Amino acid sequence: MSETVDLSIFSMMMCGVLLLIPVLLVHYLKLGINRNLLISTVRMVLQLVLIGFFLEYLFKLNNGFINFGWFLVMIFVAVYSVINNSGLKYQHFILPVFLSLFIANLFVVIFFNTFIARLNFIFDARYMIAIGGMVLGNSLRSNVIGLGDFYKALNKEEQLYLYKLSLGASQFEAMLPFAKKSFTSALNPTIATMATMGIVSLPGMMTGQILGGSVPLVAIKYQIAIMVAILASTVLSIAMSILFTIRYSFKKSGVLRKSIFK
Amino acid sequence: MELFRIENITKQFSEKFVLQNFSFVVLPGDKINISGYSGIGKTTIFRLLLGFERPDAGKIIFDGEDLTDENVWVVRRKVAYVSQDLNIGKGRVSDFFQETLHYKANQHLRTDAKNRITEYLSLFNLQTDILTRQIEELSGGEKQRIAIINALILDRSIFFLDEITSALDPALKEKIMNFFLENKNFTVLYISHDIYSSKNTKIKTLKLC
Repeated sequence: MSETVDLSIFSMMMCGVLLLIPVLLVHYLKLGINRNLLISTVRMVLQLVLIGFFLEYLFKLNNGFINFGWFLVMIFVAVYSVINNSGLKYQHFILPVFLSLFIANLFVVIFFNTFIARLNFIFDARYMIAIGGMVLGNSLRSNVIGLGDFYKALNKEEQLYLYKLSLGASQFEAMLPFAKKSFTSALNPTIATMATMGIVSLPGMMTGQILGGSVPLVAIKYQIAIMVAILASTVLSIAMSILFTIRYSFKKSGVLRKSIFK
Repeated sequence: MELFRIENITKQFSEKFVLQNFSFVVLPGDKINISGYSGIGKTTIFRLLLGFERPDAGKIIFDGEDLTDENVWVVRRKVAYVSQDLNIGKGRVSDFFQETLHYKANQHLRTDAKNRITEYLSLFNLQTDILTRQIEELSGGEKQRIAIINALILDRSIFFLDEITSALDPALKEKIMNFFLENKNFTVLYISHDIYSSKNTKIKTLKLC
């Protein structure tokens, strides 16, 4: 198989031409999101250029401590994003969400690198950062849904929750139906993606590997392994996020603290 | 022995005082009608006694002990509360009862629960086939009776009843309220705008104004 064809300056300029389609359409439809669209595009380009240089340096150095340190930075950014997008306040959630994302993702990445990829150096930058990023990115999305839905539902249906407490339910028993529902909503996108994978979508990792010169059958094996890793880290991190945050979100009387919401 | 002693309770929401220096005592066997216009704080009394709200000032004593966030669980396991809110959950009616009986604190009630549910269904003019129906499909009156039965199977003797018959016809309202008001073993605090022709002449009135 041939190596990936590098994209020239001309190719990147053609990308800009392609970008004109959504920009003009959004402008024509007066959706009012042109500014955001352009800012996001500029941010994406700048971030990716910077990260491109940074990763090139990181991969060349391939130092276990530095790789682990970068993995921690990725987790911190994910924690910020999960809390911010769930409509919750940082001070109550930063520690429990960090712990859940850290434990779940580190466990899955180390398991993947040790027993699936069977690496001699489990903190290898190519695996730690790339696999870690994919696993973390997916658990981030699921945690935004899971954690956000859980607290929003408890707040919206507080009367029902309190009613259960009045019937003799413990705090855990009363919130369990809410936790189960949020857990399911958070997992559904991953399960749906898995069910249609290869037919509806050719996943990014597989596409990347094929463009990078891998045989499709090798790319498929990796894709199966990564999807299972994503599922495992998603399930683990949501369960831990809900469990770890409960302590900070309820009063001793079992009543939800309103101060947790932004 | 007093069950509840409420001493100089004050509760406000935002800028509005709902209760101000409010006091009363509940003795075993009391039947107390809490009355007053809408929004005056009748339901807030139940919420305070169940620990869903904390008073801004004053104290609540239950069974001789100050009510705190830690020990309010004891009250919740001695009181049966029927809320005016008809959102009692989703799913089959039988599963709704099962969930209540499944709670660790209620497990001892499981043995003869089925017979008791059947008895109460018949007492409150409901057919047993309602057990297989979905809560979402029930009428307001049916939901109210299901919530009342759910409170009764807890086998408790203190009841907080918040507008529990608002969706029922007059005859059924009388029947259900008299069931509670004429039972000497029950302590009942209730909110209702209706007047019942109960044989119990010892009903106290707690008027909020």
